[in-house]
Amino acid sequence: MSFLEFKNVEYSYIGGDDEFISALKGVSFSVERGEFVALVGCNGSGKSTLARLCNGLLTPDSGEVTVDGKLTTDKSALFDIRKKIGIVFQNPDNQMVTTIVEDDVAFGPENLGLPPEEIRARVDWALKSVGMSEHATSGPFRLSGGQKQRVAIAGVLAIKPELMILDEATGMLDPTGRREVLDVVKKLNREENMAVIMITHFMEEAAAADRIIVLNKGAVAADGGKELFAAPDVFTAAGLDLPLYVRVAGRLNEIGMNIGCPLTVDEFAKAVADKINGRAGAKK
Amino acid sequence: MIEVKNLSFVYSPKTPFTTQALHDINLRIETGDFFGIIGSTGAGKSTLVSHFNALTKVQKHSGTVIVDDMDLSAKKVDLKKLRAKVGMVFQYPEHQLFDDTVLKDVMFGPKNLGLSKQDAEERALNAIALVGLDCEEIAARSPFELSGGQKRRVALAGVIAMHPEVLVLDEPTAGLDPKGKREIMELVLRIKSECPTVVMISHNMDEIAEYCNKIAVLKQGRVMGVFSPRELFGSEELLESCGVELPLVTEIAVKLNALGVDIDRSVLTEAELFAAIKKAGNYA
Amino acid sequence: MRDVSIGQYYPAISFVHRIDPRFKLVILILYLVTVFFCDSFFSFGFMTVFVLVAILLSRVPILKVLKSLRFVIIILVITTLLMMIFYTDTETAPLAEWGIFHIYLNGIYSAIKLGWRLMLLVLMPTVLTLTSTPTELCDGLESMLHIHVLAIIMSIALRLIPTLIEETDKIMNAQKARGAAFESRNPFKKIKAMIPVLIPLFVSSFRRADDLADAMDSRCYRGVKGRTRMKKLKAKLSDFLALLFWCAVTVCVLFLNYNWFGWTFIAVLSI
Repeated sequence: MSFLEFKNVEYSYIGGDDEFISALKGVSFSVERGEFVALVGCNGSGKSTLARLCNGLLTPDSGEVTVDGKLTTDKSALFDIRKKIGIVFQNPDNQMVTTIVEDDVAFGPENLGLPPEEIRARVDWALKSVGMSEHATSGPFRLSGGQKQRVAIAGVLAIKPELMILDEATGMLDPTGRREVLDVVKKLNREENMAVIMITHFMEEAAAADRIIVLNKGAVAADGGKELFAAPDVFTAAGLDLPLYVRVAGRLNEIGMNIGCPLTVDEFAKAVADKINGRAGAKK
Repeated sequence: MIEVKNLSFVYSPKTPFTTQALHDINLRIETGDFFGIIGSTGAGKSTLVSHFNALTKVQKHSGTVIVDDMDLSAKKVDLKKLRAKVGMVFQYPEHQLFDDTVLKDVMFGPKNLGLSKQDAEERALNAIALVGLDCEEIAARSPFELSGGQKRRVALAGVIAMHPEVLVLDEPTAGLDPKGKREIMELVLRIKSECPTVVMISHNMDEIAEYCNKIAVLKQGRVMGVFSPRELFGSEELLESCGVELPLVTEIAVKLNALGVDIDRSVLTEAELFAAIKKAGNYA
Repeated sequence: MRDVSIGQYYPAISFVHRIDPRFKLVILILYLVTVFFCDSFFSFGFMTVFVLVAILLSRVPILKVLKSLRFVIIILVITTLLMMIFYTDTETAPLAEWGIFHIYLNGIYSAIKLGWRLMLLVLMPTVLTLTSTPTELCDGLESMLHIHVLAIIMSIALRLIPTLIEETDKIMNAQKARGAAFESRNPFKKIKAMIPVLIPLFVSSFRRADDLADAMDSRCYRGVKGRTRMKKLKAKLSDFLALLFWCAVTVCVLFLNYNWFGWTFIAVLSI
């Protein structure tokens, strides 16, 4: 059985005009331990609802969500489920519980009822993993957005979950902050073998994942590896912007440059350079 | 026209928490400029622009700010006149919405200027149309029911309806998805045809490079210089000394250069990058 | 600087700052009780000397202490004056009188004692809040009274209040930029002018509360049951010394104050 499984999940809520708004319409997918999944979709595609269904903050109207075989509708299993799945939310200012960084990171392990020494060890480890050790005793107001989100990640990390969900955790950050967070997440996936679901609308971030799930209007529109970028219509149809270099590559392909579909800035530069240098060489 | 002369500013003077936010700032913003202000978190950008409409008073013996013919270090400043002249859109401006209909909310500014109800309503409707919203559909709705992007447009309309001559934008695209960011920037360009001078604070170098004609770089409360985008992003030394990141297009050009492709490294937009690659590779 | 916008913490490195908050609280209680028992000028003087020593040790400028007490001092002066004016004594003749006001010697004494006592009562708590952060005090209370919910509530409040103050500031600025005037003298207009600030503030507070609740739930919070703490307050030798010292001061004051008790005590010892 998969670690996290969505089976035909439907969810709706009451909107501003007292009408039911269907956020998820029969969503099914599963995530294994150690995977790095990007979940992309534009605003209103149901991404954040999906995140909250994973650890029982919300429960499905129909269908089921299981974590390691346990249903999220089972109240007695919630504590165990939340130990296994951590969520980092969008707003860096609304996640910190205390006025000191290390106390905040300790909040999760404290809830687990661990002995003080163990908590201390986990806090130090978690802060080190996200590169925030030197800020352990600062207050949140002196930190940048990216740093605050790294603290939030450390707070989740200290619980030692098997899957970390980042619910648009980079949405409110500047480009530097986004890169900081993405680097930390990649490292955790690689070194700690932690499964990651990165919910985002930045396609550059999606390109860093092994697998991409595209959500469009509450339904899974595509689910696959990086090859999805080769036929990018599925993204544009879901209202998503492609990364700049993928757009430029597309236009260059149209005028006959044939550089394929590069997924990072470096791949793009290399593909273009090879073509142009090759052409210049051929002329000589 | 805004002129900043030898402006300094100190937070919490005469306490243990004293911090100098601005050191001896000199700037000139001409009518018609799209003036970018960049710098890392805490560089003093917001403190600087909040002087432009006297939300922050010029401190004693700390230089001055002159807006057209108004000296803001004077004892008496006509705030109503100043705030009609300089419109300020803060970060996440949708957080300022309060009234029960969109129309009333947008009318708040014009009414504060002392306009009659009719005039205020006319201006409000024009502003709502200018920001690309459908008046008939949206004017009578509650602003709290709208989507994130719509809310931001309404908030922008609330400032535009005051018919400012200078529009100051603090991170106008923060927190939006790439599509939303692009739409807001296109909107700003449209607004610029009616409000000739725009000042924009941003962390997003892609936007700064594409839209601004002058860029002031702030570092720890000091102005490192005012440059044209090509000057700034084309010069390695400047970027280094100012601690500025490259826009993505320029980064790609620099990488291509390093791989031996002869391409102008000061490209600023996606179209320029495409054209430059096309030219370098002799594609028709 | 916004970290400490609640309370009036004065950052400094001093002996007083370093005392364990629990000991500070115990000393404060002991002190307050003693001040209530004090009744002679001599004992007041004695207490004042020790409060001054505490302030000196704390390295908080004395002006700063007085400044944070400026309103209290005004009220104190008024109370003292009223006491002096309205004191009636049937046994001695008044020193002076104007119409219905009579000034008696005992009245002056009582008034000065009252003023002095009130001054002493407010001084020490001020020293406490100047030398301990709200978090420290809260941790101290929690560990003394074993009210864990209090710690969580206080912690969240301390975390969010500065954010909300900042938010209020931002919204006010945004509305000022739209020409709103909050400076009106008319109280009705003033309240009306606050609506554009209060509504967005409520909206954002609820949003924050929701977000925070989700974040806490996601981090395995299920009430205080089964919760442990990473940091436990540990008393140092110097904390015990400070407490011991203050006990000694208390005893001295009581001796000075009830000197009959003192003589009896010494008499008992000499037997």
